[in-house]
Amino acid sequence: MKFSPSLFEVDQLCFERHGNEVLKAATFRILPGEYCAVIGPNGGGKTTLVRLLLGLEKATSGVIKLFGTDQNRFKDWNRIGYVPQRSALVDGTFPATVREVVGMGRYAKRGMLGFESAEDKAAIVEAMELMGVADLSDRLIGNLSGGQRQRVMIARALASKPDVLIVDEPNTGVDVESQHRFYELLRTLNRTKKMTILFITHDIGVIAEDITRVLFVNQTLLVSQNPSEVIRCDEMSRLYGTPAHVVCHNH
Amino acid sequence: MLEMLDYPFMQRAFIAGLMIAVLASVGGSFIVLRRYSLLSETLAHVSLVGVSVGLLFGMSPLWMAVVASLVASWMIEYLRSMHGMYSDSVLAIFLSGSLALAIVIVSLAGSFNASLFSYLFGSILSVSVEDLWVMGIFGSIAMALLLAFFKELYFIAFDEDVARAGGIRVAMLNFMLVSVIAVIIALSIRVVGTLLIGALMVIPPVAAIRFGMGFYPTTLLSIAIALISVVIGLSASYLFSLPSGAAIVLCLLVIFIIALVINRR
Repeated sequence: MKFSPSLFEVDQLCFERHGNEVLKAATFRILPGEYCAVIGPNGGGKTTLVRLLLGLEKATSGVIKLFGTDQNRFKDWNRIGYVPQRSALVDGTFPATVREVVGMGRYAKRGMLGFESAEDKAAIVEAMELMGVADLSDRLIGNLSGGQRQRVMIARALASKPDVLIVDEPNTGVDVESQHRFYELLRTLNRTKKMTILFITHDIGVIAEDITRVLFVNQTLLVSQNPSEVIRCDEMSRLYGTPAHVVCHNH
Repeated sequence: MLEMLDYPFMQRAFIAGLMIAVLASVGGSFIVLRRYSLLSETLAHVSLVGVSVGLLFGMSPLWMAVVASLVASWMIEYLRSMHGMYSDSVLAIFLSGSLALAIVIVSLAGSFNASLFSYLFGSILSVSVEDLWVMGIFGSIAMALLLAFFKELYFIAFDEDVARAGGIRVAMLNFMLVSVIAVIIALSIRVVGTLLIGALMVIPPVAAIRFGMGFYPTTLLSIAIALISVVIGLSASYLFSLPSGAAIVLCLLVIFIIALVINRR
């Protein structure tokens, strides 16, 4: 049997904010190539969970291992691409071209005083082409539409050639057509490039066919390896604590 | 007009002014983009405390300004990042607090008002050879740090969370940036004065941003605006016996207005 190390291995993770328990004893693993949806009600701790994985918040207790290494000793952060919540809502006057923003994805690899290598340039161009923003290269990020900005932010995450892409409810301020293109892209990245995807969303219906695992977060964590089970309306209603209707649709 | 360059004090003023122009505009670019512009104003007021202490106890006002500004910058960053206090509130406390302290020290001494005036508004006559050495050494270190971490500071200014998630040491670089800004401000007080240095840090990047370019060309334009203002301001200061800081800031304001008119949106 081939050993498949976990990309994320979380054990008994707890997090408190100002004395309030946000996350209780979360335990789960994410394996290479998975398409994992993180769902749950607002304030349930979805974004906190992701921020804990990325080291942006410090856990109260518990263990996080990234690529088999304890998070405190983990150095290869460029192996994780991150597209945060509301990433499309950037400051309209910020002096940054699309090329400069995508190039930021390579900064951690370049190191101090590191100039842009041929490999960096190729990775930036490849990420821009993959996201269809190569022709916007010299445009200011603030002059783009919400959908275009979203693609630029994903291109930035992809420029580091990550093994895993974490996307946190990225569709704020993005039109419906761009959202559909976005879901299609995530599917392509997962299926053809074998990229592991961790997708935080409210709209589980649109990715129902793609996901391989669901993490339901509402202070406590419930893991299901059978998404169709979770997506059932009665199960969703039980988890959310309110009547829920799931509409699965081919975007 | 070029005969002014025959005078050693003008040569020193120009060397100091051009050094400060480059440092202030590059450092200022990062604080403007982080909406942290008031930091320069606050640290300038703090450096006035250092100057007052220096004059009162007969120590080098420039060195004391560097020390006061550095200590305050670390305290500000500590309170902002570790205690989660709002940046503008922390800056407001330090700004008014340091000014109050400086006024008390000045009124206790009561004998160095003329010297203090040159530190408040800048004076081309006050730049000594020793000042140039201090500016050269500390300015070179400050610029080397800004250039070494240029791209990381840019990334942090654009999106601090994603930069941190990408493995960039944000907390360390934030402390480094405020330290560098503190040093630049303390070094600038001879030429521009404590009350006006904020303008030399903030106006060039703000004017350059109006032209809607990427970060690298914007930074270069910002440097050019600062250099032009320093050259014209110092020349006007010599020709019309004006305080150098005020003349430089008025030039910056004219360029800013031109940038606004050209780039009406």
